[in-house]
Order: sequence, then structure tokens, then C-alpha cells
Amino acid sequence: MWNNSWSIKEGIMACGGLIAIGLVLYLCTGPVEWSSFAWPLDLYILGFYVAALIILFLLRKKLYFVRWAMSYNAAVPALVAVAFMTFLMGMIKQVPVSVSAGDVSIFHRMISFWPFILVYLWMATIVGLVSIKHLVSFRLSGIPFLLNHLGLFIALLAATLGSADMKRLTMNTRIGQTEWRATDYDGNLYELPLAIELLNFSIDEYPPKLMLIDNATGNALPSGSPEHLMLEDGVKSGKLCGWNIEVLDKIELAASVNGQDTIKYVEWPSTGATYAANVRAVSADGKNVASGWVSPGSFLFPYQALRLDSICSLVMPDREPRRYSSDVIIYTESGKKCNETIEVNNPAEIEGWKIYQLSYDETKGRWSDISVFELVKDPWLPAVYVGIIMMMLGAVCMFVTAQKNNTQKNSES
Amino acid sequence: MISWDYFIYFAALSVLLWIAGAWKAFKGARKSACAFTATGLLVFGTFIGLLWLSLERPPLRTMGETRLWYSFFLPLAGLITYIRWKYKWILSFSTILSIVFICVNLLKPEIHNKALMPALQSPWFAPHVIIYMFAYAMLGAAAIMSIYLLWIKKNPSEDKEMSLCDNLVYVGLAFMTLGMLTGAVWAKEAWGHYWSWDPKETWAAVTWFSYLTYVHLRIGMSNKRKAALYILLLSFVFLQMCWWGINYLPAAQGSSVHTYNMN
Ligand code: HEM
Repeated sequence: MWNNSWSIKEGIMACGGLIAIGLVLYLCTGPVEWSSFAWPLDLYILGFYVAALIILFLLRKKLYFVRWAMSYNAAVPALVAVAFMTFLMGMIKQVPVSVSAGDVSIFHRMISFWPFILVYLWMATIVGLVSIKHLVSFRLSGIPFLLNHLGLFIALLAATLGSADMKRLTMNTRIGQTEWRATDYDGNLYELPLAIELLNFSIDEYPPKLMLIDNATGNALPSGSPEHLMLEDGVKSGKLCGWNIEVLDKIELAASVNGQDTIKYVEWPSTGATYAANVRAVSADGKNVASGWVSPGSFLFPYQALRLDSICSLVMPDREPRRYSSDVIIYTESGKKCNETIEVNNPAEIEGWKIYQLSYDETKGRWSDISVFELVKDPWLPAVYVGIIMMMLGAVCMFVTAQKNNTQKNSES
Repeated sequence: MISWDYFIYFAALSVLLWIAGAWKAFKGARKSACAFTATGLLVFGTFIGLLWLSLERPPLRTMGETRLWYSFFLPLAGLITYIRWKYKWILSFSTILSIVFICVNLLKPEIHNKALMPALQSPWFAPHVIIYMFAYAMLGAAAIMSIYLLWIKKNPSEDKEMSLCDNLVYVGLAFMTLGMLTGAVWAKEAWGHYWSWDPKETWAAVTWFSYLTYVHLRIGMSNKRKAALYILLLSFVFLQMCWWGINYLPAAQGSSVHTYNMN
């Protein structure tokens, strides 16, 4: 038994070997289809894997390999290998699942690539084994260790195995209508156990901005770091690239009216109205003067730019949304009915589903009568959060004990 | 209303105070070193606070604004390290680094946008970025230390110097872990999933595992000092990649947070 002396060399070889095996597996079986691990298969795999780790741990006296796997000689190369595979993933553009797998080379979908998965699995195995070891010989002083390692183990396993059980669907709703169907990435239609009635959709926008663009290229000026002038309440004038801009008039809800040879804007509080400002621009040397209306336009009206000289024009880009939200009624199969306001960063939650504000009809902007929701169901989320919270506490412990660890170590050496 | 036009005055005053603090630290006057540095932080922090008020959002969005935090946290990290581990030179060092970031902000100002897209308007946003900036400051200090030990210092590194590196990494990695996990929780609230292997997340993972390698190498194979220091430096390169490098990396282009889902 004692003449076994595996060192870091074996650790490196183990990782190299796993990558080689992974390549062979990939050549034989192709990419890993995560979606085929759906419930209850993922639960069986989890049970089997944890049981295997426990059995391996119990046999550690007989199996030198297991004792070695719980050492730094195994852990350090495993961490290097994981960092390396993740590095490859970062260097190669990854393609989202919404693109069908047939068109994509495996390197653009690392999470389905066997070597990537095996290296992570090896790391998880080490973390799992040392977690069991510290659980079995539990000491209070081992709590930070357990929070870090067991937390990572739980979060990693739950997130990976649970990904097949996660449902992410997109639902389009229209004001006044009730919708219960949603589609996934591949366009498959699902009928849901809940329905959403969109009562109202509203956008709160940032004040409009004025910018200069290059007449020839259309690029914002100065190129590289464009300047802008935000027309907040009270802003009457400002400077853009040397031009003095004065705001003579502004209309929040306006319609354009064609005059004889100019365009004018008038008050028009109705669907499709646009913002408009009447401005006067004077060049730095005072020689060039231009005045007229600028407007970002809407789905009803075209945008309006003001040509200042042969080089540049003054434009008003589309206003940026500050906040958008949907007032809805959600009905569930079990007969529940509730009113919710859903907005970005403030999803609604009902019977295991989270409902996110995703988007709206961008061609109509603030006048959109369509609201797009994303519905997410992730039954493994609580387990992932347990892992995440453990790791957070572990990080706090690491911060608090940073100095202590060190003094201990120094006195040992 | 405060704006970036006032930055130079606040920055100049803070830098003067920090230099005074660093000088006092060299002289061994610990109390006044701490007092000067803390006053400098107060002045700089006041600017950040006032800017926050006038922007009506946390100043965390543009690169210029995050550099502001970096210039703030470097002397703060320096001060904490100084109080805890009493290195005479640490304040000079954090002051110099902070000055570099202040100069970048003065010489390359960006026109700062007031608008904050809805996904960033979250209670998680400010803690997430502030925690990350603090981690960056600590890990930046560790990286400079590793350069010093690898190439500048002629004699082999001493235990005390290595344990400074270790401490900086422990604290930095702890904050980085917190930053990453608050980011995950926020992503769940904002985009529906906590981890989507988008380029920023992928590089954060690379960086994290790289620092974990350092930690385990130092604990488990403490005689491999050179290797550890190289890993420390490499980890910091990954960190730069994660922070701003991906803006220039071809592999990371065109994948915005809304076309984000890999799982
Ligand atoms: C959450 C991130 C992690 C942190 C903060 C962390 C931190 C630590 C610390 C501080 C120790 C020394 C503990 C002690 O002596 O009491 C340690 C030991 C160890 N770590 Fe980690 N680690 C992490 C992740 C990992 C990973 C991913 C692996 C697997 C590759 C791993 C494998 C090990 C091993 C094998 C030991 C030795 C355990 C023993 O001596 O019983 N750790 N870790």
C-alpha cells in the first residue's frame, strides 16, 4: 500500500487521459445532448453518482487511487484542466441553442463537448470526495471548507443535471387578449397550465437626445466617442462639437405637417405621436446658422434631421426606454386569478413559473400593443440556490480567516 | 449639480492626501498615515456620491465610471492591508496605481450617458459591480507583488512576502466569488437564468478557476513558489480579459445579454 506514490505527474496524466477519452467518445457518439437527461433520468444519475462517490470513499483504505484523488496532486491539475477548457470556450465564439445543432461545429458548443464535460466531471468528483471526507470527520473548524467545496458540488451538479428540466418559453400577448400558448427555441408550441391577459403595456422613456452625424457616413460625431445633448426638463441650450444649440420649442406628442417647403410639427396627443424639437444651431465662429425641427419619428411619421453644413447634420435618435411594464391578469388551471405588474428585473411568480418581461413591438416603441414574456420553470433552482448561498458564506469565511490561515501555515512550516 | 468638470479638483486633493499618507507610512507614523489616507478616501468618495446623486443612478456604467471606483478602492484596499499587515510601502503602491487610473480618466474622458438600460436597474447592480471592483483592486495588488517577486527582487522571496500575496488573493478571491454569485442571482431576476456561458461569464469562470489553482498550489505544494507566482500573473491577465478584453475579442462580439441563452 505505502509504496504507492502518485504525484502531480499522475494528476496531469489523468486530465490528459480524460481529454483523450473525451475525444474518442466524441468521435464515436457525437455531441452530448443535454436535453435527453430530462426527469427522472437526471435524478437517477444524481443518485447513482453520489452513491458511487460514497462507495469509493468507503473503499479508500483499499484503493490508493481514491486517497490520491483527494490530494492536491489531483486537485491542482484538475483545476488547470478546467481553466484551460473554459479558456478554449472563451476564445472560440459560442453559438446559442436557438441555432440548430446541425450547422454548428462542436467547438462552438463546448458544453456538449465530451472532453469539456469529463474534465468538469473529474473536478466535481474530487470536490465531492473531499466534501464527503470532511463531512465524515466533521469538525467545527472544517465548516468553511465544507461551505466552499460542498456548496460548489451542489451548485454544479444541480445546475448541470437540472438544465434538461428547465423550460424557457416565449409568449406574445396583445392588449385585451388572453394567451395560454408559448413557443420554445425550436418553435414548438406548448399549451400551458396558465393564461395571461394583457391589460396594458407602457413604456417610460428617457428624455430625447440631440447628436451630430456625419452627412457622408451617417456615423455619430465625434467618431469614437460621440457627444450628445440630453433634452431634460429645463435644458434650453447646449454645445455639440463646437455648435451652440438653442432649443426654441419642444413638443412631447407631435405630428408632422408639411408646409410649403419646410416641415412643421404640431401638438397631436394620439397613438403614433412623436417627439419634436425646434432648434437653432450656430457654428463656433458664428458664420453658419441653421434652424428647424428635428424628430426621431415614430411608426407613423418619418424621422427629421436638420442639416447644419456640408459636413454634419443634427439628429435626434430614438428615445431609450427607462422602464417598461405590463399590467396583466394571470389565470391558473387550479382556478387562481391574480393581478400583476411585470417589468424588467421584476418577474411575476406563480405555481413554479417565473414570468419575465422580455420585449415588445419595437417598431412601435411606446405605442406597442404587444408585450412579449418569457416563462421559465426551473425545478432544480432551490438546490442551486442552496449551493450558491453556501459558497457565499464560504467566501465570507475565507475573507474573515485569510490572515489566520496564513499564520497557522507559517507556524507549521 | 456636480459633473465630471469638477473631477480634477477632488482628484487632486485626494491624491495630495494619499501621497501625504504614503509618506507618513514610510516614516513610520502609522496614525497620521491612516488619517491622511482616510481623509483622501473621504474626499474621493464625496465626489462619487455627488456624481451618483446628479446622475440619478449609480456611476457604474461606463468604463470611466468603473475606473472611478477602481481609483477609490485601491487606496482603500491599501489602507486595510496597511492596518492589518503593516507593510510600509503598501500605501505608496496603492496611491501610484490609483493615480494611474485617475490620469486615464482625466486624459481620456468619455462622454457619459445618463441613460441606464432597464436590465441594469436592479438592486443587485450596485453591490455586484462594487464588490467586483474591490476584488480587482486586491488582485491587482497581488499581481504587482508577483511581478516584484519574480523579476525585480534579486533574492528569493521570503515567507512574509509570499504570505502577503496569499492574503491579497484570499481576500480578492472571496470578493470575486461574491461578485460572481450576486451576478448569478441578479441574472436570474433579470434574464431568467443564473448562468448562460455568455462571454463575460465564461471569462469570469476562467479567472476564478485560475485563482483557485493558485490557492490550492500554495496550500498543497508550498515549495513551488515560482509556479504559483506565474499562475498569479496569468490569472490577472484573465481578469483583464473578463473586465474589458472581451470588448475587443472577436469570439465575444455580437453576443449581447439578450441573445444570451446557451443552455
Ligand atoms: C469554492 C472554491 C474553492 C475554495 C474557496 C477552496 C479553498 C480551499 C482551501 C482554503 C483549502 C485548504 C483547506 C484546509 O486545509 O482546511 C482547500 C483544500 C482542498 N481543495 Fe479546495 N477550494 C475550492 C474549490 C476546490 C475545487 C474545485 C477542488 C477540486 C479540484 C478543490 C480541491 C481541494 C482539495 C483536494 C483540498 C485538500 C483537502 C484536504 O486536505 O482534505 N477545491 N480548498
